[in-house]
Amino acid sequence: MPELDDELMERFQKGDETAFTLLVRRHQQPLVNFIAQFLGDKGIAEDLSQETFIRIFKATPRYKIGRAQFKTWMYHIASNLCKNEIRNRGRRSRYWVDNTITTGDAGDAEMDRENVIASAPADVSYQPEIQFERKELRNAVRKAIAELPEQYRLPLVLRDLQGLSYNEISKILELRSGTTKSRINRARLMLKDKLKLFMEPL
Amino acid sequence: MNCLQAEELFSAHFEDELNYQTLKNLESHLTECERCEHEYILFEKSVKAVQQMPQVSPSPQFGHVLQQRISNDEELPANHLIQTFSFWKRLLSVCRRPRWAVSGILLLVIAVAGSYLYQENLFNRKQNPEMVGSNRTRENPKQSIQLPVPHGFNGTGISSPISTQPMQQRYILKRVSYVNAPTQGGL
Repeated sequence: MPELDDELMERFQKGDETAFTLLVRRHQQPLVNFIAQFLGDKGIAEDLSQETFIRIFKATPRYKIGRAQFKTWMYHIASNLCKNEIRNRGRRSRYWVDNTITTGDAGDAEMDRENVIASAPADVSYQPEIQFERKELRNAVRKAIAELPEQYRLPLVLRDLQGLSYNEISKILELRSGTTKSRINRARLMLKDKLKLFMEPL
Repeated sequence: MNCLQAEELFSAHFEDELNYQTLKNLESHLTECERCEHEYILFEKSVKAVQQMPQVSPSPQFGHVLQQRISNDEELPANHLIQTFSFWKRLLSVCRRPRWAVSGILLLVIAVAGSYLYQENLFNRKQNPEMVGSNRTRENPKQSIQLPVPHGFNGTGISSPISTQPMQQRYILKRVSYVNAPTQGGL
């Protein structure tokens, strides 16, 4: 509801600080999710999300109601912060496997399998193999996303993980609609190639 | 339709955005080409796998930590709503954008050139108020310079008034004004 965001921003501009708290509550979950999925790093996601909200807080007097959607503005700030973070940490791609963050290779898949089996409850209906397969697929998807080039990863995360429209993504990334669509298609094709092993029927 | 063209349409097909004709062409290609059909199935599966990824949630302390960070931030003024930027800070921020800077310089050049031309025009008017504008000279026969022409020169016995060109007039008058100008203490 973009109108509600504008109303909250207007109230905040007039001095109602509760409006800002409500804005944070409304957007903190999608923002943290976006940064975590894009950077492949849950640890830094909260920090950068807070930085995004601080920037919004500072820029509130300059925000013009109705000029742009609050959501697209927020994602624009967040994506710029993410790009800076990528530049600072170099070319290494990151993604997390369950609760641990690994750098580079997929990591200890075998150890992960043992942990899942060891932590399985004594329930007959519980199927550790299926659980493990799902977990493995999730890890593979995270790895595949992390390996995508930045220009393809960003629109893909915004579309498939955040569920934004093509129009919103074009505004956030300042791209033409056709370019956004072709980048998303290209990113999905790359992912398909990377995930082929997991998708092929045995 | 070839395989590359079909691949380009996978996303649009997945999101049901194709028009009737394109959809028909793609469907007929997928029916004919086994490889493309297989690739499309994999494409669909992988996109769904991405879309079904679990969401990451912030910690319960997120709001509290944010509030602390905002209150600890020294850059933030006591009353954040009255963020008055100094004039120079704003000007500098505008000058950082090349388009704005170029247009600003152009405006400055136009303003300087315009004021210079206006002043010169004003100077000419002061020097010779009746000579400005060639039309006025031509319309008013009194302002044309009469040169003595002997009777019967053109065979008719009537003398015709010859008016000088405006540029020549300006030159003559300027020269006169320089000659008559007072030279106290100067060259």
